[in-house]
Amino acid sequence: MTTTRMELVCPAGTPATLRAAVQAGANAVYCGFRDETNARNFPGLNFSRDELAEGVRFAHDHGSKVLVAINTFARVDDVDIWKKAADAAAESGADAIIAADFAVLGHVAKNHKQIRLHLSVQAAAATPEAIGFYAAQFGVRRVVLPRVLSLQEIAALNRAIDVETEAFVFGGLCVMIEGRCYLSSYATGKSPNLNGVCSPPQMVSYDEEPGGTTARLSGFTIDRYERGQPVGYPTLCKGKFKAGGRTSHLFEDPVSLNAGGMIAGLKAAGVTALKIEGRQRGKGYVSEVVRAFRKAVDAVEKGGEPVDIGRLLAGQSEGARQTAGAYEKKWR
Amino acid sequence: MRPPNAEPMLPGFVRQLFPAVAGLPLGPLLTLSLRSLARRRPSLFERLGESRSACFGIDPVDLAFAFRVVPEGQRSSVRVVSKDEAARSDVQIKGPLLTLLGLLDGTLDGDAMFFSRVISISGRTEAVLALRNTIEDAELRPADLLGLHGILARYVDTGVLGALSVARRLVDKNPSGAREA
Repeated sequence: MTTTRMELVCPAGTPATLRAAVQAGANAVYCGFRDETNARNFPGLNFSRDELAEGVRFAHDHGSKVLVAINTFARVDDVDIWKKAADAAAESGADAIIAADFAVLGHVAKNHKQIRLHLSVQAAAATPEAIGFYAAQFGVRRVVLPRVLSLQEIAALNRAIDVETEAFVFGGLCVMIEGRCYLSSYATGKSPNLNGVCSPPQMVSYDEEPGGTTARLSGFTIDRYERGQPVGYPTLCKGKFKAGGRTSHLFEDPVSLNAGGMIAGLKAAGVTALKIEGRQRGKGYVSEVVRAFRKAVDAVEKGGEPVDIGRLLAGQSEGARQTAGAYEKKWR
Repeated sequence: MRPPNAEPMLPGFVRQLFPAVAGLPLGPLLTLSLRSLARRRPSLFERLGESRSACFGIDPVDLAFAFRVVPEGQRSSVRVVSKDEAARSDVQIKGPLLTLLGLLDGTLDGDAMFFSRVISISGRTEAVLALRNTIEDAELRPADLLGLHGILARYVDTGVLGALSVARRLVDKNPSGAREA
């Protein structure tokens, strides 16, 4: 078990959300620039260069860190966009850059040695060999773990590596081979891993029809919801499709990860930081989720009674349903 | 007890007390407010990007009228319109008035309200998302919309937000009355 206190890493899609996360108890906040260099490139979201610098000042004044996600994969003819984003992040005084692309990792390792490098979940590094490679080549100090590992696997991994690990504990799930999703690209021509947009909103529609609401992505029907039934994100991976004569959530259920009950287990497995997903979510979500996890993490650190986070956060979950995901996986 | 996705709506008599014609003066007043806000905080409208010129139909389901809003900086406009006209906008956002106001002042989370079907959206989803993210970051207070500063702004914010909080508690406690709407 790690003896240091676990770090609570929280999302910020806008400067106001960054302040809300810090004030709710985040040890670190992660955010991105308003362009395709980060995996949440949505309209109205993210930071300008000036807003990031201001956000870093605010976070540092309150004892929190800022981690900048530059975690999409650079295009062969436009690598400079990603390099300039890394330069701007370093100039802002941010504490770390979260990256996955070799070009970005190499650029930061060579030109900005003062800033920590964290390996994005987009790199899907889940073996000691893969993580060791990133650590040796680029000096990566922390790896964000793919959401496909069980607690036992995380513990074994931590015993075999020398870098910190960060595990998702709450929010949307993306359990494919992370960083290599082709579903959205197939339907929309836009890639989550290259353009930072999974299900670009200009191609999403929620159509009110007799009997309920139909969610479509680029003309493909993803799901139909009866009146009053909770809805989910309009992503293909969480759509309902007919196969083998049966209609079901073919790829994955529209549920939120909630590993709030596993904080002690993750600590015992050697995890350094706990990550909350949701840079596309608002201040209300961020404040409520961060406050609940702050309470739960503090309780674990003090050896107290666990906090019932599932009950506290049921209203903030996608589809109003929660799962512990692969952490307690009973399947292979 | 109210089911989790039931709307905390205003009592039915509100709709009778404020027919569509009673809302008409709100259009010019809100237009002036938005344009004044754009002069004071231009960066707020920049966050909207291309969606600045979109027409948003805002339909408080417990009122007799709706709004058409074009948040184009200093050329912004707000019109009080019929429900049918609001439905013909680029984007339609429908929900109980207190919920819509809660989204505006940041008390409520837009995604959570959408997932649980308290509000509904249709039309250009990217414009809804841009508007929602812009409002989230704006941290608007009632005094911002009225262009007030100093002590007066603090009194107005305290008064208006306090009144909204009381109204939410009242309709939460009286769901049967709320259903009349």
